[in-house]
Amino acid sequence: MKRPTAPLLILIVEDEPLIAMDMEMMVEDAGHNVVAEATSLYDVQGLGVDLRPDIAFVDIQLAENTSGLDVSKLIQQRWPDTVIVFVTANPKIIPEDFGGAHGVIPKPLSHNGFIAAMKYLEQGVCGPPPTLQQPNSFTASPAVAATWHD
Amino acid sequence: MDQKYDWELTDRLHTEHGRGDPFAAAVRATRMPMVVTDPEQDDNPIVFVNEAFQLMTGYSREECIGRNCRFLQGPETDPKTILKIRKAVGNGEDVSTDILNYRKDGTSFWNALYLSPVRGGNGKILFFFASQLDVTQRIDAQQKVVDQKEQVEHEVKVRTADLEASVEAQALLLHEVDHRVKNNLSVIGSLLRMQIRDADDPNVRKALRSTMERVDAMAAVHRRLYQSDDVRYFEISSYAANIVQDAISASRYKDVFLHSNVQTVRLPSELATSFGLLLNEILLHLFDPYTPIKSVSLRSSIDKENIRVVISNEVVEKTPQDAISALSLKLISRLSRQLGATVDWDHSLNGLTATLTIPMSPL
Repeated sequence: MKRPTAPLLILIVEDEPLIAMDMEMMVEDAGHNVVAEATSLYDVQGLGVDLRPDIAFVDIQLAENTSGLDVSKLIQQRWPDTVIVFVTANPKIIPEDFGGAHGVIPKPLSHNGFIAAMKYLEQGVCGPPPTLQQPNSFTASPAVAATWHD
Repeated sequence: MDQKYDWELTDRLHTEHGRGDPFAAAVRATRMPMVVTDPEQDDNPIVFVNEAFQLMTGYSREECIGRNCRFLQGPETDPKTILKIRKAVGNGEDVSTDILNYRKDGTSFWNALYLSPVRGGNGKILFFFASQLDVTQRIDAQQKVVDQKEQVEHEVKVRTADLEASVEAQALLLHEVDHRVKNNLSVIGSLLRMQIRDADDPNVRKALRSTMERVDAMAAVHRRLYQSDDVRYFEISSYAANIVQDAISASRYKDVFLHSNVQTVRLPSELATSFGLLLNEILLHLFDPYTPIKSVSLRSSIDKENIRVVISNEVVEKTPQDAISALSLKLISRLSRQLGATVDWDHSLNGLTATLTIPMSPL
């Protein structure tokens, strides 16, 4: 399988506009491209199939009463190679197996924490397993943890 | 007449002969209802009842004599109790039991029955002697206690359900507030980062970055506190380890090695934010962007007198360190005072060590 290379294509699913804007800027500071932003499940459904993001950052509580857990399922169907990372203030709501998603970054985001997670994810996507130590700001799903760091 | 019934003559003749038999007189006059039955006759009929028995049951002596005692039973009488009495009579044994009996007027009463056989010289049972006592009040009182207990238990159940519902509502509210605080802290951090990018002046950027890091420190405290199982305490060692690790991950110097040797140290959660901010001020200085760091060491310990957190950096080459800004010094001084803590700096050739000492507050 051909691994993606930097700059990576990033999808941001976040209903708080300022946080989405900030994440976009941090992603771009880290040298990657935001290919789309969505605020709800319906937004994501409306995205082109050819988008193929490498990483999707997905909030759980989304606009129009939709859930990031459903967005995660949709992404897995549509773009099976996309790495899905929940970004949420309520990590306890995530099921134990992450419902097929790859990890979580708990809110509130710290600048250092997000940048460290971004670097780690870049390694994980472009050349797994990552050589960096897993940052505290990022928790991998059990399935990813088994392949990325042992 | 058989000699066995001689005693009865005194009754028939009223007091005339009774005077001569103090026991018979006592039985007649006592306020305790009493009955004598004759098991030798068919169906063990009553052969004697005293005045008290007639008063208690409403039946006259004439209505009682010749009948088996079961005429006192009624629809609500417990068959198990009847069986118990019948067994005792059949076996010629004593029995004492509470039985629900009925008066002539149809009203019921609880009867504490004591029944025992009276044997002759040869051991043969001559009579059964029964004493009764109306214990309706006692039984009612017992029933009342049982009823009250049931009622109290019911009320406790209702109250418990109310309390549980209230606790659940509180938990939901706390969760909602926690979520909003986190989101607001996220937005504040985002706004600061945007402002940093927008600023042309490096000094402005630096000042904003310090502020952003202070907000991030508070956000991290809040995140950890509400992820833990017990929000009353804040575990400072794992917090410090995470913050130092994040600072290293985000720093420009790759391959910084972290030596960490920490003990579990808990602070009351109302001091958590101050601790987080104080630690952040120390780290701001240790991770000055222009200091080429080789390794970082973090130690924490707790003994009877003090909590101690020691963080030091080892630099690649000695460079003139920036003086700590006046604001940072003031923050360190104020936050330390709140925690009753001291911060000592030690500049060596290889780097810089900060020692944070928090005395254990007397309990």
